[in-house]
Amino acid sequence: MREEQRLSPEAHSYLDGESAGGIGPEDRGAAQRFEQAIQAYASSLKRPDAAVDRAVMAAVRADARHARRQSVWRWLVSPHLFNVRPALVAAAAVALIVFGRVLIDVPGPGDRSPGAEAAAQTTILVRFELRAPDAHRVTLAGSFNEWSPDGVELARNAATGLWTATVPLKPGEHEYLFIIDGSQWIPDPNAHAQVDDGFGQANSVIVVGPRGVVRS
Amino acid sequence: MRYSFVGALLVAGALLASARSATAQDVRAQLLERGAPAEFADQVAAVVASAGAEQLPTEPLVSKALEGWAKRARVPQDRVITALNQYVVRLRTGRDIALEVGFNGAPGPVIAAAAEAVGRGMTRAQITQVMGSAGEPAAAATGLTVASALMAQGLEAEAAIRVVDDAFRGGRPPEDILEFPSALTGLQAQGEDMAQIARRIMQGGGLPSPTAPGMGGRGNRPPTVPGMSGEGQKKRKGTSGGQ
Repeated sequence: MREEQRLSPEAHSYLDGESAGGIGPEDRGAAQRFEQAIQAYASSLKRPDAAVDRAVMAAVRADARHARRQSVWRWLVSPHLFNVRPALVAAAAVALIVFGRVLIDVPGPGDRSPGAEAAAQTTILVRFELRAPDAHRVTLAGSFNEWSPDGVELARNAATGLWTATVPLKPGEHEYLFIIDGSQWIPDPNAHAQVDDGFGQANSVIVVGPRGVVRS
Repeated sequence: MRYSFVGALLVAGALLASARSATAQDVRAQLLERGAPAEFADQVAAVVASAGAEQLPTEPLVSKALEGWAKRARVPQDRVITALNQYVVRLRTGRDIALEVGFNGAPGPVIAAAAEAVGRGMTRAQITQVMGSAGEPAAAATGLTVASALMAQGLEAEAAIRVVDDAFRGGRPPEDILEFPSALTGLQAQGEDMAQIARRIMQGGGLPSPTAPGMGGRGNRPPTVPGMSGEGQKKRKGTSGGQ
């Protein structure tokens, strides 16, 4: 450093590579000695261990990943300005509804085979009959009318005491009961079967095929 | 429009959650509309919402809850809640079997049919057999419904499973299989007893079509009622006999 202080402006220019021709021998010698001193110092420096190099680079990369995570979180929690196209929002809403429909497992047309789909769309008229000559009112409640006690009212033939109603039903199994005078729930003796209703009592069952029902 | 993106995500999640609990809210509203006390309606809604969160079909639970309330004069409310919880257990069993058979996503109808079959005494192996021979969920649901109905009619379980199994393996469509309970009733009306019918089934005889000549009894199907066929719908007349 002390050597540098004695360098002339010409020697500085020479070291900077700016003037190779107009420098005197004394300045050139001083500049060359200075260069040699620099090279000797550089060669005396030890190269860092390779392990140190790897550790430093790993730390730098980890820091970069952390910075990226922080950046994503900052983006998520910061307010942003968006330009929204109403049509795209509507499309996204439809997609959300469809996705939600899949998640809540509502059976759709694709859940049925073509034959079963056709059968499900078919409506079969099923006639229900109950002989109850002393009844004043007979109704029908079942899985087909959400068990509404007033859903289906049977008509009475005064001469025979036979109460009847014709109900459109989809193919498949249906559970039901007759209700006499609004309070007495009784099974259909002509049903395909009587099954436990889960409450310790019985429901009547019919299985409606696409061509109708045969009962006893 | 300036807003927090996280807020938007939360709103979307809430919308989805509200869609999932729509059935629970629906049944609550239906029960309240029919005069049920709020506490009972809340208990039912909680069971339905919990089942929905497990991806179980909720329609059978809703129907059973409405049935229980309709029968309130002879079914106490706590009995209804117990029955619903028992139904959920059967639905879980049905879903597990459907997944084991390989019905991806286990569609609601087949889970419901399997749960009903469990309730009527079908074993896990029998349910698995019917699902396996049906090959696809919708057909399996029909097969399980029919097999459990035949059992309820008094046919031995082995014969009920066999006749459905044979039908699927013979390539008969599910719509044909829905005719079996009527066919069984027709055979009984002709004077055959269940033991005879079961023997014939186990010998590979199957069940005849209920429309076959000679099938009859008091409840035999009458001809189609004139004027009953509507546009877009096939309407045919079924019947029942008098008492």
